[in-house]
Parts: sequence; C-alpha cells; structure tokens
Amino acid sequence: MAKGMFVDTSICTGCKACQVACKEWNGLEGEPTHFQQTPGAPYPVAFNFTGNSYDNTGALSAMDWRHVRFIEQFNRNRSEARWLFSSDSCKHCNDAGCLNACPTGAIIHTDMGNVVVQDDVCIGCKSCVPSCPFGVIAMSEKTGTVHKCTLCDDRIHNGLGTACAKACPTGSIRFGDVPELKTIADARLAKLKALGETKANIYGYTEAGGLNVFYLFMDRPTVYGQPEHPIVPQQRLPLSTAATVLGAVALGVVGLISFRERGNKKKEDVTK
Amino acid sequence: MNPETHIVNYPWYFVGMYFYISGVSAGAYFIGSIIELYGGGKRSEISRIAFSLALPLILLAPILLIIDLGRPERFWHLFFYTKEGIPYINLQSPMSVGSWGLMVYSAFCLLSFLNTLAANGRLEFAPFAKLYNRLPRKTYAVIGMLASLFVAGYPGVLLNVTAWPLWESTAPLLGPLFIASAGSTGAAAIVLVMARRKMASRDAFVHLEKFDRVSMIIELLIIGAVIVVAGQYAAPILRGFYGVMFWGGTVIMGILIPLGLYWYSSRSNTDRSQLVMLTAILVLFGGALLRISLMQAG
Repeated sequence: MAKGMFVDTSICTGCKACQVACKEWNGLEGEPTHFQQTPGAPYPVAFNFTGNSYDNTGALSAMDWRHVRFIEQFNRNRSEARWLFSSDSCKHCNDAGCLNACPTGAIIHTDMGNVVVQDDVCIGCKSCVPSCPFGVIAMSEKTGTVHKCTLCDDRIHNGLGTACAKACPTGSIRFGDVPELKTIADARLAKLKALGETKANIYGYTEAGGLNVFYLFMDRPTVYGQPEHPIVPQQRLPLSTAATVLGAVALGVVGLISFRERGNKKKEDVTK
Repeated sequence: MNPETHIVNYPWYFVGMYFYISGVSAGAYFIGSIIELYGGGKRSEISRIAFSLALPLILLAPILLIIDLGRPERFWHLFFYTKEGIPYINLQSPMSVGSWGLMVYSAFCLLSFLNTLAANGRLEFAPFAKLYNRLPRKTYAVIGMLASLFVAGYPGVLLNVTAWPLWESTAPLLGPLFIASAGSTGAAAIVLVMARRKMASRDAFVHLEKFDRVSMIIELLIIGAVIVVAGQYAAPILRGFYGVMFWGGTVIMGILIPLGLYWYSSRSNTDRSQLVMLTAILVLFGGALLRISLMQAG
C-alpha cells in the first residue's frame, strides 16, 4: 500500500516544527551561516539566508529536506496583508523524474511507494538534479552524492509515521495510506469551498503522474512556488529521440552526397 | 518555468567540454566511416586522418566525465548495479544508455585507429590484421558510423529530457543541433590537420569543405528553430554574458564568418592553407562555445 502525506496548507501556522523534526530525525546539519560585508550595512550580513522574510532557508536543499515556505503578500502601505504558509518536501512521485534519470539505479521506489536515494550506489553525476520537476533533489558537495526527503524510510518501515507529521501541532501534515488521505483531502476541500474559499485546490492528484505527497492550496500552485503543470521530463524522451534519429539520418544523407565521387567515377572505373 | 527550482549554478564545464570533444571525435569518425563505405579510393587519406583523430579525442571523454562526478571512484556503478551484482542499464536515462554507447563507440575508435596504424605500416602485429579482416571492412564502417551518430546526438536528448527551462523548452531540437555541430566541427578538425600538412589543394579537400558548409547551414537552421521553439525561455542564451557567447561566439564567429571564408577562399587561386586553417579553428571554437553557453545558461 502506497504511503504518503497530505499537507493542508490552510491550517499551517508556519511554526517550522516539521523542519526541526526532520533535521533531528534524519541527523541533517544546519545550513552553515556565511557572513559577508554588504554595502549599506556596517556589520557583516548572513548572505545565504533570506534575511527579508520569516522563511529561513528559502528552498529545499541537500541539508534541508523540509522547507516551510512563507508567502508574505503586503500592499504598499501595508494596510492589507496575506500570509500563506506551505510546508514543502519531496513529493514522492509515482513516475519520478529523478529516478528515471538515474544512470546507476541509486534511486528506487520502495514497497511503500516512497522514492529513496541509496547513498552507497550514487556516484554524484547530478543528472537527477535538473530532472526533478519540483527542484527537490540536491547535490551535497560534502558527501559527493545527492540527498532528499526519504518519507522517513526507516520510520515508516517500522510502523511509525514521518517525523514531520508527528511533530506538526495543527495536523496540517498528515501521514497515512494515500487513498485514505485522499478521502480526508476531498472532504476538507469541500468544506473550504462551502465556506467560500473558491480558489482552494488540491495539488498532486494528477500532476506529474500523481504525487504521493499532495497539498491543499488556498490559491494557485504558482503562488506557493510550485509549477502549475509539472511534467515528468522523460515524457519528452520518445520525441527527442525521434528528432535526433532524424537529424542523424539527415547528416548521413549529407555525408553520402558530399563524399560521392562525381565525374571521377568513370575514370576510376576505367583504371580498375 | 518553475520558481521553486532551486537553481544551483553548477559548473558544467567538464560535461560541456565532454559534449564538445566527443562531438568532434564522433563527427570525424562519421566522415571517416562514410569514406570507408565508398571504398576509400583517393580520399582514404581523409579517413586515415579522421580515425587518427577520433581515438585520442574520445580517450579524453572518460577523464572529463569522471572528474565531474561527486564520487569519481564509483564511476563503474554506471555499468554495474552493486546491490544485485548485475550489469545495469536504464533505458529511460540518456546518461545510462549514453555510457554504454560511448563504450561501444570507443571500441570502434580503437579498432579503426589500430587498422589505420596497420595500413600505414606502423603497427606490425599480424594477428590484428587477421582478426580485423575476418569481417567485411564495411561492417566496421556501418556499425562505427551508427555509434558515432549516437555519441554525437545523445547529449542533446539528455538535456531535452530534464525539467530546467532552457533545456526543456528546446526539446526536441538539441539532439539534431548537436549532431549538426558534431558534423561541422569533425570536418573542421580534419580540415585543420590537412591544411597544416599542406594538403589543402587536393581534390579530396573539396568534398570535406562542402560537407562542412552544408552541416553549418543545417546547424544555423536548427539554431533558428531552437530560438522559435523555446520562445521566452531562450532568453538566457540570447542576452547577457551567454548571449554574447552564443551570438558572437557560436553564430557569428563559429558559423557565419567560416561560411564566408570558405566561400571567399574557394574563389581565390592562391595558397589557401592559411585561410582554411583559420576557418577551421573558428568552427572548432564556435562548437565549443555552443556547448558551453547552452550548458551554463541552462
């Protein structure tokens, strides 16, 4: 049975308990702080943190497998404001771009449907990095391999839920069997719609071949930094291959014509 | 296309240079094998040069590729799945298929190289000639040619099946583009060697120039199509630093000026070696900048 998570962003408070739980359980180091002198500031500024938002890491990385995205929308005089939060992670795609691209078999689907990198197989070729439609998987210069959320592979194979879901104080992140989670998600969406939240939508049922970690968003996916229509990149493989074969045939024809011995043919035949 | 994508600007220089050098090697091998198919004759000097170039160039490939890995010592995992102890190939992954293809191509480069040495009388090893000649010579030409076209084209497919905006939006044209560029740079490499050896006045040379010209025109057409197909996502290679590299380096210096020079030098009757050498060098630089700009701007 495929396990997954349902992230209900409508009840996320942006507390980042999930980020902390993820780091603790998985033994992930903190992002090192790099200070540098910045024009206009008399003191050194940490340049690898956002610095202008409660969002601290700004993105997922090899060390940050969970990232609470803060969407802080204010008008000019700050009389109107909207704060949205969305706890993001690997979506554990059914048809995973990273897995498809891996040339070594390092990335696998387990029996529970989660996508895991086998660190001892990975060679650090980075071809999975641009192949993820969501920009999740990332390279670590320290280990020379790629890392991402495992859906707490060790926990879920021992009857526990994911660390982030366990730590979530509002129930915004739920772990469970995907079909069950979908029932919960549908019910929640219906309730929100009834309350007049017309823009609410569920992200991940059909996107990129179906995601085991799916979201309830209060606005369009792009507002939450997710692609509107993610596509598994390998879907372009047949057409790209066909075009390349066509190109090869064309060059072959050009070659055959260019190197044909015109006019000289007769002379050569005579000498033979 | 995707604001979430945490774009880490990797230095893809090693990979870019690999795409370029393997393209030159494959283009040269392709030309050599075509001439072999026609039975060599007076132009077999071209194929001899082609095969002597193809092997040393492709020997650089594994070096560039392995340096780029995060764990270079594990490169053999590309061919062998350690968890199950079996040879491994992932047909959905251009990098996996490409690794095997590169291996096949390298083997043919080696065979053709040794055969060229044997033909020149520099390799005195009778068993090789005996084994080599067991199969009809054209078999090598046909299979080697297919392998060379594969090596020239697969990097384009690899880039097209990713999710990064520039590489994604140029699908499915990067494969054909790389093939055309491999053809023209491969021809330019042979031209350069011939011009250095003062062989530029020979009849055979005309064929080579013609092939180079036509492949450059095809390349130009594909570049036009790439820009149209990619639309707004082509911006990184059209503007800024990589824009200068792409327009100035690849299109103007690497294609338009060489086309003009070939045309000009074909009309003059004086010694053309110098001019032709310059043209070939420009084509070779243009090919390198095409790979680098496309990779780094992605």
